[in-house]
Amino acid sequence: MNEQSTPRANERTDAATFSTTNHTAPVSPAEQPSAMVNELAAEVHEIEIKVRNRAQQAEGDTVQVDAFVAELLKLIAENLERMAPPQVRFALDLLRKFDIDLEDYLSPDFWRGAGMLIGYQIQEQSAFIQRRLQGDYQIDPYGMDLEIVDIVRPFLTFMYRTWWRTTTEGIAHVPESGRALLVANHSGVLPWDGAMLATAVYEEHSSSRIVRNLFLHWFSTLPFVAPLLADLGQVAGSPENAINLLENDELVCVFPEGVKGIGKLFQQRYRLARFGRGGFVQAALRTGAPLVPVTIIGAEEIYPLIANAKPIAQMFGMPYFPVTPFFPWLGPLGAIPLPTHWTISFGPPISTQEYGPDAADDPLIVFMLAEQVRSRIQETLDAKLQERASIF
Amino acid sequence: MTTILINGIGSLLGARVAQILSADESLRLVGLDRRMPIAPVGRAEVLTAAPDGQQLVELLRAEQVECVIHLALLGEEEPAPNREVAVQQNVLGSMELLGACAHAGVQRVVLRSSTQVYGAVPTNPVFIPEQHPTVRPRHSTLLRDYFEVETFAANFARTHPDMQIVVLRCAGLLGGGVWSPLTYYLTQSNPPTLLGFDPRIQVLHLDDAAVALALTATCQATGCFNLAADPPVKLVQAVRLAGHQPLLCLEPFTDAAVALGLSHDLTRGWPFERNFLRYACIADTRRAQAELGWSPGHDAAAVLRELGEGRNVYAAREQTEVALQIFLSRRSQS
Repeated sequence: MNEQSTPRANERTDAATFSTTNHTAPVSPAEQPSAMVNELAAEVHEIEIKVRNRAQQAEGDTVQVDAFVAELLKLIAENLERMAPPQVRFALDLLRKFDIDLEDYLSPDFWRGAGMLIGYQIQEQSAFIQRRLQGDYQIDPYGMDLEIVDIVRPFLTFMYRTWWRTTTEGIAHVPESGRALLVANHSGVLPWDGAMLATAVYEEHSSSRIVRNLFLHWFSTLPFVAPLLADLGQVAGSPENAINLLENDELVCVFPEGVKGIGKLFQQRYRLARFGRGGFVQAALRTGAPLVPVTIIGAEEIYPLIANAKPIAQMFGMPYFPVTPFFPWLGPLGAIPLPTHWTISFGPPISTQEYGPDAADDPLIVFMLAEQVRSRIQETLDAKLQERASIF
Repeated sequence: MTTILINGIGSLLGARVAQILSADESLRLVGLDRRMPIAPVGRAEVLTAAPDGQQLVELLRAEQVECVIHLALLGEEEPAPNREVAVQQNVLGSMELLGACAHAGVQRVVLRSSTQVYGAVPTNPVFIPEQHPTVRPRHSTLLRDYFEVETFAANFARTHPDMQIVVLRCAGLLGGGVWSPLTYYLTQSNPPTLLGFDPRIQVLHLDDAAVALALTATCQATGCFNLAADPPVKLVQAVRLAGHQPLLCLEPFTDAAVALGLSHDLTRGWPFERNFLRYACIADTRRAQAELGWSPGHDAAAVLRELGEGRNVYAAREQTEVALQIFLSRRSQS
């Protein structure tokens, strides 16, 4: 236990000393919300480290008490990081006002302080649930609920950073603001690639933009899936929706291969399927949005698709029924994706403005642009696959 | 001097339209209904009668009516007594009225419809424009009446190019003390929703609908217009804002309940068809804002909260004043 916790504790020490230098200086909450969150979290982390260090030197029963206290403090610090600035300010005041020394956990004051912080957190959570139950929340016109996005985001970030260890290249090609149409290759049975592309833009891009993936209409017919996709700001794919979103200067992502791409067999991996009928190019031309080709590598191997059981798919009204080495044999466990290494590469944008909105009705220009995007993605795919040493 | 006939002035919406139009001195207002108006109607002269087709032509000719606002619909402001009676008045009544207007040389007819005529299907665009095809509702409900009237009116407009026919597709009405299928749904103790689905819905305040009708009657625009308050809200959120908790139903059980007659029948209240509990049907209101100079003056969440707090009451003086100011400012702009 102690052995394991040491390296992480050391990592934390750097961060803690860095952000606690101006410990007593008053922080203006409106200007530096994240600084304040860091400050309080660092304060608690620092104490946790001290407790862990002491636990290493101690013997007997105290070791277990120390370990428990350290875990408790870790839990509190992690929760503090998720709080909004006004809540953090309140918690900070609480600690300072009573001058509670979290280091000395043998004194009753420690338990009072920890109790107060935990109590405050429970109160916050229940106030949140109560507010949701009263319908007191905001959605955007497309149905996105930012509170739900915030709840799901840590999981997506975990998949992005830890599970697939994603490398993102050329993020600067995504415009800072204004409309743009991201066009990516589709693969991987379940649309994880869309989720990871959105996470990549949110995590790596300087203005943390929200990506609106256009998904297959079939998903809107699925219970629980349909409202979740809407909550996360995703929109059913159709030319009208793409144009509407682009007109509102949103960042839209399409996978023109559609079902042909996501349900392709393992032996056809990284070979782009037909790019629909160029509907995405028409939407971009009508709205003058630039096309940004995106290449996603690694998603093909997360569920190696051996066969597509079409009769079963037809029976359930599904677009395809995947058979992988693990699914459906292992049941729900087979739905756990393999932890391959991902690379998401954003290419230089292709401008569509010079053609004018009427070019959308000219099949020659539409197919020319669609082919241009397709060949760019295929070239990048081939080049990146050459470089790749291992799929993991 | 333009004469406007408000057919269905007995309803709250009809009375409100009359009150708003009364501010315009250049208009003469005639109200027609089977019953006495339940709210003040401003300067309108009210005729309480149920004329048949021929009598209607005589009335329109004698009064030299140039514009007709048709709001005489059963089931929209009170539960419809029975389907046969409702179809008789809503569908056949509207057809008769259009015919009479053509005979009497009325130039402009304003009809009321519902944004739900687009139907709830998964392929609906996020915002449905007016030119999107409408879908014939499966069950005989008020929504079917709207669909039939719209289909008839569209054909009628084609064969009578000299007449201006306008259809205002309104989202579910709320606020201002109005009873509507939507308030009927939202004021149940536990409005049923489908487990695993939470579509966006739209609402419309009574006064906003009245202002739009008044604006439409006095301008030249034709065709269909979508009317709804901004922004859309989620169905479950709407139920909660209205002060209730939704009853999450499993679909096979609702089928069984409807089949056995245990569940409330969908014909009396919103959403007319169960698919509206599953898929969104959100109308794009940009055309009404651009061509009518109309914009929703009431926020959707605020209207729903009012309903939840029991403030859905008719407040004649203040509300009329606000609606009037909005109408007059729009008129002066255009």
